[in-house]
Amino acid sequence: MSYDIMLLLVVAIPVLFSALIPLFGKVSVFIRNFFALVLMLIPFLLLIIIFQAVQAGIPVDFVYEFPILEINFILQADIFSVFVAMASVLVSIVVLIYSFEYIKSYDNQNEYFFIVLLFVGSMMGIVFSANLIFIYFFWEMTALASWRLIGYFREKEYVRRANKTFIMTAAGALCMLIGFLMIAEQAGSFDLDVISAANLQGSAVNLAIILIILGIFSKSATFPLHSWLADAGIAPSPVTALLHAAVLVKIGVYVYARLFNFTIVPSEEIRIVLFSIVSVSAFLSGAVAFVEKDIKRVIAFSTISQIAFIFLGFISGGKFAFVGAMLFILMHGLAKAGLFLSAGIIEHKIHTKQLDMMGGLFRYMPITAFAFAGCALSVMGIPPFAGFFSKFLVIFGTVYDQNIIAALIFIICAGLTVLYTVRLFWKVFLGSQKKYPNIEKENWNSPMVLSVVSLAFLSLILTFSFGYLFYIANLAAQTIKGQGF
Amino acid sequence: MFLLLVLIPLFLVLLLNLNLYKVNYKIAVLIAGLFSLFQMFFIFSPNFFSTGLVDLLSLRFECDGISWIMLFSIAIVSFAAICVLYASETIASGKKFHFVNLVLLALAGMNGLVFVRDIFSIYVFIEIIAATSYVLIALDKTKKSLEASFKYLVISSVATVMMLSAVAILFMAAGSTDFIKVAQMYKEYGANPLIVVASVFFIVGLFIKGGVMPFHGWLPDAYSASPNPTSVFLAGIVTKTTGIYTLVRLYAIFDFNYSMQLVFLVFGSLSIVIAAIGAINQDNFKRMLAYSSISQVGYIVLAFGSGTILGVFAGMFHLFNHSVFKSLLFVNASALESRVNTNQIHNMSGLASRMPVTSTTSVIAFLSTAGIPPLAGFWSKLLIVLALWFSGNKEFAVLALLASIFTLTYFLIMQKKIFFGQLKEKFNTIKEARFTIRLASLFLCAITILTGLFFPIILNFMAFLFSF
Repeated sequence: MSYDIMLLLVVAIPVLFSALIPLFGKVSVFIRNFFALVLMLIPFLLLIIIFQAVQAGIPVDFVYEFPILEINFILQADIFSVFVAMASVLVSIVVLIYSFEYIKSYDNQNEYFFIVLLFVGSMMGIVFSANLIFIYFFWEMTALASWRLIGYFREKEYVRRANKTFIMTAAGALCMLIGFLMIAEQAGSFDLDVISAANLQGSAVNLAIILIILGIFSKSATFPLHSWLADAGIAPSPVTALLHAAVLVKIGVYVYARLFNFTIVPSEEIRIVLFSIVSVSAFLSGAVAFVEKDIKRVIAFSTISQIAFIFLGFISGGKFAFVGAMLFILMHGLAKAGLFLSAGIIEHKIHTKQLDMMGGLFRYMPITAFAFAGCALSVMGIPPFAGFFSKFLVIFGTVYDQNIIAALIFIICAGLTVLYTVRLFWKVFLGSQKKYPNIEKENWNSPMVLSVVSLAFLSLILTFSFGYLFYIANLAAQTIKGQGF
Repeated sequence: MFLLLVLIPLFLVLLLNLNLYKVNYKIAVLIAGLFSLFQMFFIFSPNFFSTGLVDLLSLRFECDGISWIMLFSIAIVSFAAICVLYASETIASGKKFHFVNLVLLALAGMNGLVFVRDIFSIYVFIEIIAATSYVLIALDKTKKSLEASFKYLVISSVATVMMLSAVAILFMAAGSTDFIKVAQMYKEYGANPLIVVASVFFIVGLFIKGGVMPFHGWLPDAYSASPNPTSVFLAGIVTKTTGIYTLVRLYAIFDFNYSMQLVFLVFGSLSIVIAAIGAINQDNFKRMLAYSSISQVGYIVLAFGSGTILGVFAGMFHLFNHSVFKSLLFVNASALESRVNTNQIHNMSGLASRMPVTSTTSVIAFLSTAGIPPLAGFWSKLLIVLALWFSGNKEFAVLALLASIFTLTYFLIMQKKIFFGQLKEKFNTIKEARFTIRLASLFLCAITILTGLFFPIILNFMAFLFSF
């Protein structure tokens, strides 16, 4: 099998075969779960093979040219895209295993696994597409999937919030499509290669970039288009983990990097505006996370804040900043998924999300508490957890690129992160002891606990392979446009 | 050979009404259903096009790619309408028999309309279809449906008068009603005020027939008050064939200059935006669908307004998709009505758990309407936007895109109120709709999904039809 076909399969297997999950679900729960896991594992294995090919410098791309129109279906792999794809599939696998137990007691399970697989498949589509129309195509498919996932529980309020998410992200995406059309008009094609070669500049391009960024910010929940993300917390915890850590918000960040680090270089004015937006986003959401009273909303605002760090790295765009941001995607994915999944365990145990009702949970769930602490330390950026290196590199890179003020603001934001995360841990696990009627003892071999522990463990262990990760990210950074390393 | 598609239904109507055999409505329904299936497959036969021109009583009949798409949509929608008719519990069996006859007549009319190449014949066939629709709307003789039918009759006769006078003027100027002769005349005298008046009359007449804003007054009533199978048939294909398809044919005749293009663009965008806003607050499900239908027709007209072959192509593709997903939504409306006995959205809630097929297919239909990938509606909307953008009408492309948000909004509201939410206690015993209705939903739903997923193949085929 050639690498090109493998690349196609990475996208096609989860997207097309996910539709079979409801059928298997009718037969047996075990077969369905097994099938879902296989659908997730095959792309991961294929990605490993593709990764080696890409690293060896073999070009991997699948091209299907459309008749008549300029919209060609092109999938292209480079180190950056394969890295991001692997990071999200890895987190998704853990989330999937966690869901097997978490979702057990709810309705519409078949639909849940179908949509999760469709979601991850569309993410793969975005990551590898090298044509603007298909980026939009898969982008809207993720919006569709997240609509059904957030509205998983069918109560009125839940459906309303899911609808809000759908409308906000779809409106953003339409702005983005208008931007794409403007770009395509200037460059004469929707293919990224052609656009990259066209070296676009001028006021029309600037307007297009602003429209595209509107779409990206609405998806990756950056201030002022962030309001849906905290509302989406009503979804089941594995879904929020998927949305926040593995797939949805990362899509925005990835497409930003793909378009504006590799394809079009935004002008200096736009970058200044972007710096200020992400700074405000990081600072405000950090501050809000400090006062929120709902555990999932605290973590959600923390996501908004951390996503701004990734944006900072890509906007700054220099070698170190880029490397840092790229690694941040992986580290944040692992740690944030761990936090959400722990929150899910807590919610399952004591049936509330309010911080006021928690306290002293360490006694009842020490394993979860340790795992939570590990992930929290990684999010804060405390050595030796892997989150430290990526956060350090982002801020160091920003300074290296002479964006001193932005770096200063983000150092303050990093301080805020420490504050609200410590507060969260204190309120949940330590603090004054509350009464919990009939709480069950936590179980070592529950898939839920194991997934959380493995995420925390990965956050720690990746520190030791940091040299290798840095080398990989450095290879990716060398292909950035307009930097000339 | 393709004339069979006009002659067979006429012959079937005769056969059913000769009273040679005792025919009950079940056999009639079966015959009509089989005919629509026959049409669906017959048009795929390889020598379908090869018969070329037919000169019958000096009317020119011809089949090209556009006709082909129309024939396919006609077959699909009439099949769905027949399915709904069979399952309908509110229509008496005697009326079902009449219904089948009327549908067959309308089929003959529509199949004829897509073949003719002569403006007077266009007028004749439009009137055949209109005459059957008046009866179809008023079939169950409730006060509302009679009112709707009367309204349609009155407004439609205005259109008739306008079109007939346009035909008269054009005949006077060209000495013939054949497309080619009229087109030649347009090249010479296109700027003559009388000819301009004739063009305006013809276009406005068609806009009335197609329900384009602001000539849509009859449409919401006609769609929502008519019996369920009629609304499937009417919304799915009848108004699209009489009003919208004929607009494409005028392309071939009229000198398509910028002022005419502007008319299409302005009225198209007017329909899109106003009807979409109008749909948001509707409480009657079928009325909401009617407004949505006006809005989607706006997209088709807008696409024709781009004035390029890609625009026509996109418009026809959207017409096909629209007739599939809109009839799917009307089929689902009838499924709901047959179980809940109402069309009022506020009376329904949480039906997804009781009617899973209806719920799922309606989600897919409305996502396709709103242009969400990977469904068929996404591609046709994308093509429309591309056609508008690259023909220099960027502001209209932007408008068409942003209006999708409204489409998404009213359908999300609909889905939330009808299918999600808490199941009301009185609905606890509700069952899924009858088999033929489910069959129609699943069939239409499969077409929408497959068209979306295998778009490259469809595109290849359409490129062949349009001989790009």
